[in-house]
Amino acid sequence: MKIQELMTTKIESVDSDKTVYDAIEKMVDRRIRALMVRFPEEKLNHGIITARDIVFKVLAKSLNPKDILVSEIASKPAVCIDKNMDLNEAASIMEKKNIARIFVCDSEQIIGVIALIDIMTGALIMRARGDHDS
Amino acid sequence: MWKVLSSVLMGWSLGANNFANIFGTGVATGAIKYGTAMFLSVVFVLFGSLLEGPKCMETVGELSTLLTIEAFYCLLASGITMTILTYLAIPTSTSQAIIGAIVGAGILSGSADFSKLFKIIICWLVTPIGAIVLAYFLHRSLRYVLDKTITNITHLNYLYSTGIILAGCYSAYTLGSNNVATVTGVYVGSGFLSAGMASLIGGLSIALGVITYGKKVMITVGKEIAPLDPFSALVTILATAFTLHIFTQIGVPVSSSQAIVGAVVGVGIVGGLRTVSAKVVTKITVGWFMTPLSAGILTVLFIKLLV
Amino acid sequence: MTMILEKILSPGKKERKVTDNMRRHIQLLCAACDLFRTAMEKDDRNLMRDVIDLEREGDSIRREIISLIYEGAFLPYLRPDLCRYVEIVDNVFDVLGDTAPYYLDGKIPEQIKSECIRIAYFNSKICEMLLITFEAMLKGDDLREKTLAIRIYEKKIDDIKFSLIRDIHKIPISNFWDGKILSEFISGLSAISDIIEEASDHLQIINLSMK
Repeated sequence: MKIQELMTTKIESVDSDKTVYDAIEKMVDRRIRALMVRFPEEKLNHGIITARDIVFKVLAKSLNPKDILVSEIASKPAVCIDKNMDLNEAASIMEKKNIARIFVCDSEQIIGVIALIDIMTGALIMRARGDHDS
Repeated sequence: MWKVLSSVLMGWSLGANNFANIFGTGVATGAIKYGTAMFLSVVFVLFGSLLEGPKCMETVGELSTLLTIEAFYCLLASGITMTILTYLAIPTSTSQAIIGAIVGAGILSGSADFSKLFKIIICWLVTPIGAIVLAYFLHRSLRYVLDKTITNITHLNYLYSTGIILAGCYSAYTLGSNNVATVTGVYVGSGFLSAGMASLIGGLSIALGVITYGKKVMITVGKEIAPLDPFSALVTILATAFTLHIFTQIGVPVSSSQAIVGAVVGVGIVGGLRTVSAKVVTKITVGWFMTPLSAGILTVLFIKLLV
Repeated sequence: MTMILEKILSPGKKERKVTDNMRRHIQLLCAACDLFRTAMEKDDRNLMRDVIDLEREGDSIRREIISLIYEGAFLPYLRPDLCRYVEIVDNVFDVLGDTAPYYLDGKIPEQIKSECIRIAYFNSKICEMLLITFEAMLKGDDLREKTLAIRIYEKKIDDIKFSLIRDIHKIPISNFWDGKILSEFISGLSAISDIIEEASDHLQIINLSMK
């Protein structure tokens, strides 16, 4: 299966100058675990903030999420892979960088995001299809 | 010759009550229709009676030395016992009834052979247990083989359909061969009938019971037969038949009702279910005691009063 | 008596007819889902009307299958489950046939069009998976992986539906009936995968009842 089939095209984002609390709120409402971070001055460079970041860097340290800005804990620049990349290569990059999701780019544009769970379900579907096709 | 009628009564009763044990699960699962089941049962019961029926007649006939008239009363008492107990919905067995009757008569005349009786009782106890074990292992092994060989559902469908029909025929055959002795065996012992004649008359009267009353009993009993999947239905029929066949070789007539109860339980255990309900066990045990006891007592009464 | 002889001498003929028709049934459903998606992508109203025709064809195949079954195919033990399964697949046809007119009657707002097409695309995929599951059921294979794949697709569609319903609030609706038509369209589109999931559960039931 191709990356483009498995990726999510709807990317939720949060501005870098918002608080971590705003990010939490958005994640809960949208039922997702990561947000793309937009930096107001930079049109093309984006970052990413994940539930992991929030838990380990803020909540577990008993810091107040309302006091911390997204820009302080976001990862920048967000790692991007080309849309034509092989699935296994993408998985090994994610393993090397120890990340659970990665953006998919077409040249410089972010067109989607693919997570470990997408790769997992994609692999299962391929197995179920067996020798029917891929 | 009119004495033969008591045999016919017994045979009829046997056929009517046991038809459900032969093809019951098969009909319940829809693999075969009543009419076809009846036809096949009749044919194969006759085969069984004629070909291997005499094997058990020796045991029955030599349990006590009887005069023909005593034999007549044995059969009559058994027949009446069976009818009453069936009416009271207590599972009965022709084998147990007639053996009880013969022993009763034997005690009166002092000719009862208790060592033979001992052998018979052991066989009765082993019947349901043997059926449980047989059914369990047959289910497990056949399932294993099938899972490795035939899995296509159309093929399985065909296998089950024909399997159940063939198994039913075998079951009818073993019923005839094992139980015809209970119907006419006493007369062979008393010298009234030859083994061949006894087989024929016995087989025919069983067939009569199947045709006339078999369906009705099957419908009633059918409610107690769990809706088995076709594979389990096949296994229960085979296990029951095989159990009876083994006892035929040993020469002792046993109860097909108890065999099929055991087979159904055996299959249930495969699913991990503890289907041995106290209710079922009680019913079987009660049947074990009440049947031969009442038949025996009745026979004693008849002989004492009428002979 | 002749039925028995027939069954023994030409084994599986009736059953094969039933399974061939069941295969045709699902294949037609896949074609219908594909057609639906293409119709949306190209905004071709004629193609969308063809979907409704396919629903009628599916219905006649269903009737054919059921009558073949009750003419004596398969053990009576299996028949209710087989028929129930065919009815469920027929339900999908019905929903497709009911949803197509909503497309013809209304106008799908541009903002949500691509998401709707994605759902239609996954409907095709989940249908293909149902066909694969069906073939596996016939062979008596273990169906677990295939039914899981179907559930995965169903979840994906559910997620898209969830975000669709959120986005739809932002769209101005001029009158009640426009809104209703759009709402029915989206409901229908997302119901398809639910019913196909139900169908796959039934295939599992059939699979297990022969063991």
